[in-house]
Amino acid sequence: MPRSSKEIVKIQDVHKAYGKEDVLKGISMEVTEGEVVILVGPSGTGKSTLLRCINQLTVPDSGHVWVNGIELTDPSTDIDKARQHIGMVFQDFNLFNHLSALDNVMLGLTQVLKMDVEKAREKAMHELDRVGLCNKFMNYPGQLSGGQKQRVAIARSLAMEPIVMLFDEPTSALDPELIGEVLVVMKDLALGGMTMICVTHEIGFARDVSTRIVFMEHGDIVEEGSPKKMLNHPDLQRTKQFLGKISELH
Amino acid sequence: MSIIEYLLIAIPKIWTGLLITFKVSAICLLIGLLIGMPAALARVYGPKWLRWLVTGYIEILRGTPVLVQLFLIYYGLPQFGLTLSAFASAYLAIGMNSGAYQAEYFRGAIQAISSGQMMAARSIGLSRMQAIRHVIIPQAFRFAIPAWSNEVVAMIKISSIVYLIAVPEMLYVAKELMAKYYNPFQTYFTVGAVYLIVIGLLTVLLNALERKLTIPGLETVKRGS
Amino acid sequence: MEVLTVLVPYILRGLSVTLEVTGVALGFGLIFGAILAILRVYGGNLLSRILTLYTNILRALPHILLLLIIYFLIARIINLSAFWAGSLSLAIISSAYQAEIIRGAILSVPQGQMMAARSIGLTRIQAIWHVIIPQAFRHAIPPWSNEAAIVIKDSSLVYVLGVPEILRQAQYYSARTYQPFVAYITVAVIYFLLTFMTNRGLDALERRIRIPI
Repeated sequence: MPRSSKEIVKIQDVHKAYGKEDVLKGISMEVTEGEVVILVGPSGTGKSTLLRCINQLTVPDSGHVWVNGIELTDPSTDIDKARQHIGMVFQDFNLFNHLSALDNVMLGLTQVLKMDVEKAREKAMHELDRVGLCNKFMNYPGQLSGGQKQRVAIARSLAMEPIVMLFDEPTSALDPELIGEVLVVMKDLALGGMTMICVTHEIGFARDVSTRIVFMEHGDIVEEGSPKKMLNHPDLQRTKQFLGKISELH
Repeated sequence: MSIIEYLLIAIPKIWTGLLITFKVSAICLLIGLLIGMPAALARVYGPKWLRWLVTGYIEILRGTPVLVQLFLIYYGLPQFGLTLSAFASAYLAIGMNSGAYQAEYFRGAIQAISSGQMMAARSIGLSRMQAIRHVIIPQAFRFAIPAWSNEVVAMIKISSIVYLIAVPEMLYVAKELMAKYYNPFQTYFTVGAVYLIVIGLLTVLLNALERKLTIPGLETVKRGS
Repeated sequence: MEVLTVLVPYILRGLSVTLEVTGVALGFGLIFGAILAILRVYGGNLLSRILTLYTNILRALPHILLLLIIYFLIARIINLSAFWAGSLSLAIISSAYQAEIIRGAILSVPQGQMMAARSIGLTRIQAIWHVIIPQAFRHAIPPWSNEAAIVIKDSSLVYVLGVPEILRQAQYYSARTYQPFVAYITVAVIYFLLTFMTNRGLDALERRIRIPI
């Protein structure tokens, strides 16, 4: 698929500390349209924090973040508006528990995009269909399995028609047999040209669909490169060691 | 008169009132304990008829204002020839009322620890009674401490209503002072400050006690919110 | 007994007042309490601490003392009737407790809900209104039911200000007929029915709006 070189996400020298702990030590990164970037690394190395810095759910201590040319770290930017174009999928799904699957997907459409209720319903059903759950539209999160919940969460983000999707360990909280259904949806998205940044341990997914693997440790980017390179012959021993380990498990 | 002059007169009187407040609160808490723990045990371990009775008692006492209960005993009972002094009426009414609430805290505590502990106790050969006495009750007390310390604070506040039947606790003293010196602002301010200080200190004390004694675990029911 | 045909209607004359006092106290208590809670949860550090202090002071004073303070000190100045002085005092007291209930309910909604709401572009206020409050509301019902019962019982305190609610009526009756016991028992029964029905009613509400699992 021909990929333009339009820069969708640019991160420049982002720092974040929690108390005395430096979680992000000056990260810089660019993601162009259509790329599928996988962030890997040991737990607690700042991968999720970096993701949340992109849509400013976590505000970096210093550094700049641009999404689609708009600087989000600029205090004068309307952050709510910007977030309409960034989709985020969480490890804990975070579906709105008091709303049905359909209402979960519709909420952003009616309240943020100010869509007509009828139009919103149509669009929401379309998105639910896209993730294979249109027959569950009236169910509440409490009535859905983990995999179904995550797919609804993905539909909820997709309904806003984002230009980039951020996935924060989307399958880590799922039982093994439910991981597959979510990865299928994510693969479809990737093959359809969505720009994606994923924090995940699912190396199989990375091998199949990603365009770049970034290995982070202790708040720094250790090494990055194409999946072929990173998985087969990375430059650094540490990279080989870590990716080798998680390859075994996934 | 100046504030200092007033305070010199008022404080000793308020102190006397405070002591009465403490006395009434302490006795009512004790009566409540003596009613509450057995009531809780009855509700958890007793035969059906007893559980029914105790639940009725608890529901009624918690469902009606303590002021009404006080008046029933102080003004109402003499109609049948049973005249209790103001103090006795206070102890009885508020004690019984506290008993109903304490029964609920202890019930929560007992139910929280009961099944596992009871099984363990019986499995080493203790009888039901022995298990209750040596295993359940000691733990129930410690479990209920947070709720119970809440009850202590509540009691200090509730005991103030007995001024209405002329028990000379703090609020009664306050009213006397106001009648004499016509200075509601100063008096109420002083009495209010005393309540705040007393309850503040009590809370600190009780929290410290709690930390030393509680078993970490289930939160039990508290009076109010 | 002919006592009942005279007594009960006489006392029931005070029932509407009791209900009005309770209604004002709970209603204004809810509004003040909700404002307090939202300010404490979302209002930033300094405001939070000032309000916590305010709440703690209100919860440390005997209710009847607060009633008297507000009636004798404030109502005289701004010319409030005994009814309003009493009801609003109870409202202020209740607001402190309701603020705790509401605050607890808001905090019981997982943090992730706010994150997810913001991540699709909802503003903070939209997120609070559409996502947090509906869930917090359901968590708040049981403790609120408890508070409602407490306010119903506390309404008896306003008799001290001369407000003609049911306890006042019972007092007048027993003063005139020297039959205090029946009078107070009747009042006790009425209070019991009020608290009982309130609890049952709110239980039913809770069941109706329960989120299906």
